[in-house]
Amino acid sequence: MVTPALSLLAVFLLLPSVYVAWLSGHASTYGQGAVFVGWQNYATIFADRAFWRALVNTVVVVHIVVYGELLLGLGLALLLAAPMRGKGMVIALLLAPYAITEASAMAMWRAMLEPDVGLINQALLGLGLEQIEWATERWTALLIASLVAIWHHLPFTFLILYSAVTTVPRELIEAAAIDGARPWQRFRHVTLWVIMPALLVAVLFRTIFAVRIFSEIWLLTEGGPARLTEVLSIYLYRATFKYHEFGSAAATGTIMLLLCMVVALPYLWRLYDRLVRHA
Amino acid sequence: MRSFVPSLLRWAAVLLALAWSVGPILLVVTSSFKEARDIFATPPSLVFAPTLDNYRALWAHHPMFFRGLLSSLVVTAGATALTLAVSSLAGYVYARHLGRVLQGTAFVMLALRMLPPIIITIPLFPAVNALGLNDTHGLLILLYAAFYVSIATWIMRAFIAALPRELEEAAEVDGAGLARVLWRIVLPLAAQGMVAAAIFVVVFAWNEFVFALVFTTTSAKTAPVVIAELLGTVEGVQWGVIFAASTIQLAPILALVLLLQRYLVAGLTAGAVKA
Repeated sequence: MVTPALSLLAVFLLLPSVYVAWLSGHASTYGQGAVFVGWQNYATIFADRAFWRALVNTVVVVHIVVYGELLLGLGLALLLAAPMRGKGMVIALLLAPYAITEASAMAMWRAMLEPDVGLINQALLGLGLEQIEWATERWTALLIASLVAIWHHLPFTFLILYSAVTTVPRELIEAAAIDGARPWQRFRHVTLWVIMPALLVAVLFRTIFAVRIFSEIWLLTEGGPARLTEVLSIYLYRATFKYHEFGSAAATGTIMLLLCMVVALPYLWRLYDRLVRHA
Repeated sequence: MRSFVPSLLRWAAVLLALAWSVGPILLVVTSSFKEARDIFATPPSLVFAPTLDNYRALWAHHPMFFRGLLSSLVVTAGATALTLAVSSLAGYVYARHLGRVLQGTAFVMLALRMLPPIIITIPLFPAVNALGLNDTHGLLILLYAAFYVSIATWIMRAFIAALPRELEEAAEVDGAGLARVLWRIVLPLAAQGMVAAAIFVVVFAWNEFVFALVFTTTSAKTAPVVIAELLGTVEGVQWGVIFAASTIQLAPILALVLLLQRYLVAGLTAGAVKA
């Protein structure tokens, strides 16, 4: 009875990713069988400046997205922890971005950032500031893409942290308050400890999902101008579907896979411990 | 007074958060009813005469979008049905049976969630072309189900594990087979779990972009890809048309998420945090 589920996973996830790791040791393009070349593909991408730029861009985006979302998500969770009127409604509306497809999300933000006439740029010009030029500036474009990614995924992070914050026993907070702990101390020594597991899960999942970022950047700049804003998944997409260098693409894919595995290792280890060793 | 100021600050922060999350959506929806010259008026026009011009233009010049919506509908329904069928069975097994090998497969299932989806396009693209599956709804259905089967299974497992075993045992004593026990007792009682699992798949399949971009060209192209194409045109983006398309695409799914938000919370707790 688990066979249908497991075969779906085997055919579409497990086998293809094993094949990618195998392919990364081979030269391959259309109309030509794979030839074993050892580390050649890795040497090729390591010699490519575009690859290193994509790696750096990915790391930058991951950091912005993960920290940004954690801070905002935690702030919101604490803000809504105490009872208030209309809380159910507020939470429902905070979840709204989760329902929006990336193309529409990008349309919204690009419209607000249109040169001269977009809402945000109008406001900046009105305040006598410079407007945001995302089309030509590498770091500005990456920042905007990260911002949209944060907007899109904050509901996920917020929900995980909010469910954790609501499990903190009130008596514990009150006891700490009676003992004279200030709000910041109560947070650091009580709340933070209780929500730590959820916090780690949020960090893990958001890191893993940020490493694979594609749509936000693709829909903003397609990795341009001159490949300056490419991330790993766009580098991989170009290698596969534009240059048909399947070997380089597979090497990039394997590196992405390893990156995710390294991040997920502590989690996977605990999971293995709980599920298999103590079964 | 002492509690008045903090609560005022708190409400200001909440309003700011709401503006951040709902503001861009409201902007798109209201702008979709504006004439082209009003969309980027300086200063922004709050009062305007609503028009359906953008929707008419979308209907007249971009029939592809409506075909895309139909594709999205087929793919979403198919992926949801397949995921629910497959993960209800698997979830039942993981909830009721233990064993080293079985738990090992559960571990593999959850570990595979870490995989970046784009890497599988490298081998799948040539394979799919060779099999003639490119640009078909069936392929997207299989792919979307494959990526959501683990979270859905884990949600089903959590909901089924919370059911009392006695009902199943009583039915078995009365001579009901496994299929009957599942269909008549377990699944009706775990219906909430199925809703929770379904909402994740529905939102994902309705909105997915990367696989739809790679694996569809015309007949199976989904709505998000069409919106992305409208956004990517070189000769001046037609914002009104994009806003109209976005509004049509987001209205049903946003309504569903707002309506079923408590299942989202339950599913996330069961599927993501505990696993």
